[in-house]
Amino acid sequence: MIAATDLHLSHFQAMTLFALLISIAFGFLSRRRTNERVKYIIWSLLLFLLIGVGIGWAMYPFSR
Amino acid sequence: MSDEMITDTTTAAQAPAHPQRNEMLTVAIGVAGWFVPGLGHALQRMWGRALGCFLTVGALVVLGVGMRGNIFSSESGDAFGMLGYVADLGTGSFYFVARALEPQGSDVAHAEGDYGTRFLAAAGVLNLLAALHAYEAARGRKA
Repeated sequence: MIAATDLHLSHFQAMTLFALLISIAFGFLSRRRTNERVKYIIWSLLLFLLIGVGIGWAMYPFSR
Repeated sequence: MSDEMITDTTTAAQAPAHPQRNEMLTVAIGVAGWFVPGLGHALQRMWGRALGCFLTVGALVVLGVGMRGNIFSSESGDAFGMLGYVADLGTGSFYFVARALEPQGSDVAHAEGDYGTRFLAAAGVLNLLAALHAYEAARGRKA
């Protein structure tokens, strides 16, 4: 049986990886040309990160 | 006259068979896209999309398992467990790969395991979206 090695990622690393993979998938599915895909992926990734960090920042007072 | 009628009748009876065959083919493409991520697009020679779907869904599954996320089974008692099972099953054959890669079970006591659960569910939902896209492309609605 093949066992996967345990990954230890920080919250930010996990969020960034998630955002990157989802952005790539959306870019490939929704755009045809390579340059359009690259633009879409970059924009989507930036928005994912911005909104993720924004929500985290907004929730910070409730964590205490 | 009777020959013409027979010919007409035969043609009329055969005509609707083509749309049905096409519909079956599009459904088969959708199911193939669900079972093996990217296969639905590969069958339509959309190589970039096929590779993109395969790699992103595969990476999400491998990362989710690596973080020891929860892979839901059909025996989940509550509604959320069933929803998780449906989402995980969305990865098609990768669901069984994920189970084989995670023999020790999940560890959601830590944040990583919780993230892993989300990675696995997102992989399934993303693959369902890709399979639906392949189905729509086969019908000629999207490309």
